[in-house]
Amino acid sequence: MKLIRHANQMKLLLPLLGLLALGAPGCQTTNPPVATQPSATVAESKTSAKGGAQLWGDNCMRCHNVRPPSSYSDAEWDVAMHHMRIRANLTVEEHKKILEFLKSAN
Amino acid sequence: MTLKTTSALLIGLLTFGLAGSLSFAQPAATNNYVTREEYEKLLKEVQGLQTQLKAAEEKRAEPSAETEQVLDEMEKKLKEVKSLASAVQPGLTKPLITGYAFAGYTDAHDEVSSINAGFNPIFLWKQGERLFFEGELEVEFEEGEVEVALEYAHASYVLNDYITLGAGKFLAPNNYFMERLHPAWINKLPDKPILMDGDTRLQAHTQLGLQVRGAAPLGPAKVGYALYVSPGPSIRTSGASAGTLRFNNFEVNNNKAFGGRVGFFPIPQLEIGYGFEVAEVGNAGSAFAEVGAVSHALDLNYVRDSRLLHGTVDLRSQIVWLSIDNPNVAPLNFQNDRVGGYVQLAYRPSQIDVPILKNLEAVARFDWLDLPAGAPNNEYTERWTVGLDYWLGASTVLKAAYEFGNREELDAFLLQVAMGF
Repeated sequence: MKLIRHANQMKLLLPLLGLLALGAPGCQTTNPPVATQPSATVAESKTSAKGGAQLWGDNCMRCHNVRPPSSYSDAEWDVAMHHMRIRANLTVEEHKKILEFLKSAN
Repeated sequence: MTLKTTSALLIGLLTFGLAGSLSFAQPAATNNYVTREEYEKLLKEVQGLQTQLKAAEEKRAEPSAETEQVLDEMEKKLKEVKSLASAVQPGLTKPLITGYAFAGYTDAHDEVSSINAGFNPIFLWKQGERLFFEGELEVEFEEGEVEVALEYAHASYVLNDYITLGAGKFLAPNNYFMERLHPAWINKLPDKPILMDGDTRLQAHTQLGLQVRGAAPLGPAKVGYALYVSPGPSIRTSGASAGTLRFNNFEVNNNKAFGGRVGFFPIPQLEIGYGFEVAEVGNAGSAFAEVGAVSHALDLNYVRDSRLLHGTVDLRSQIVWLSIDNPNVAPLNFQNDRVGGYVQLAYRPSQIDVPILKNLEAVARFDWLDLPAGAPNNEYTERWTVGLDYWLGASTVLKAAYEFGNREELDAFLLQVAMGF
């Protein structure tokens, strides 16, 4: 019986994994999501922080909706990003670039 | 004689000739000459003007007493503002307070409907670039009672770019859902998957002890890790829950649990993780003292904002295998292997330019829990949950969900509002 149950579960998992495999090359990334993205002009005008904007979308969205840079002050982002560096296992480079972006876009 | 000198002489002669011809052409003007007296007078006037100009310039360079006073006042104000700003900045003395709150309604099959609410403030202190403290309180109202608990209290020290050391009570790193996704404003459904909840859950929510964690780039990919030691779980040896693990971070023997998780990011949108824990779970001196437990967990998380699909696809899954030794002593004398998991898929059409539609998110989850044949209450549970969320903001959501499964008592209707702050 257990084998049958597990086989059923795998039947469910396989199409999902297939969807994932098909979706990976077929989709184009446009992080962060439109609904929570700060104004394009802010992001685009800060070309020095472009890598940070991309990393901000990639890393934050992995768990939750991205919060706009205006959610916190620069000093608060310092603290919040240190918290996320530890919790989300961000690399030093990711932490530095995301923080720079958030401050430049604030 | 050089060519240059010759050119200069020629230019000079030509200029002289031109000037002479011009003066010859003009009529004599005897009244245009300045007398010595007039010259002296003009010279004095020019000298006087020069003296006045110098005095004015010197006066302008020296700040007046009034200007100095204004500057002093501005400097004092600036110091006050700086002092006020540093006082309200989170840092050495003032924590940054963040967290979340929620309220929910549950109408389950053959049960009285219930309302619950929770408030989870999180305190973050950054003590310089290396030392950090984070703590979360959990205040929850459920079934007529207010419960206050310490969700976590964790101090960490950044040793270098790749290693962070931590001590205290922290969210279980081997349990991706609990460490990253369980807060009500992040979890897309009003409740947790079956394997995360109740006495039959397969993994801890938190650990108490030491941990080491970090991340490093791996070519174009990335790897993250976390390892910990803690008191670990203990085994229940009687009653309807005999054979299950109690995850309350309470020492029942001198052995420590060891666990961790490694997450691999082949592309930024995908994380594949493996978690594990090895522990001795029996009370010291009891017949179950030698009982050990090993858990393995696989998780897959894929989140992508797709132009093709006009929105965000969010796929989550976690499967846990828990194997507990058979001590051949009643009531635990059965093969105690447990397995559970969940797969959740959500879609939000965030790129469709219709305000109501772009804020809606549809969620479907399948979760299951398979208990050993010899265990009490060993029913196999299989459940489907379908939900619809409406995002009022980046961290504020209204959720509605309906659950059904392989038994009638699994049927439930749930509502929740959650806010991250």
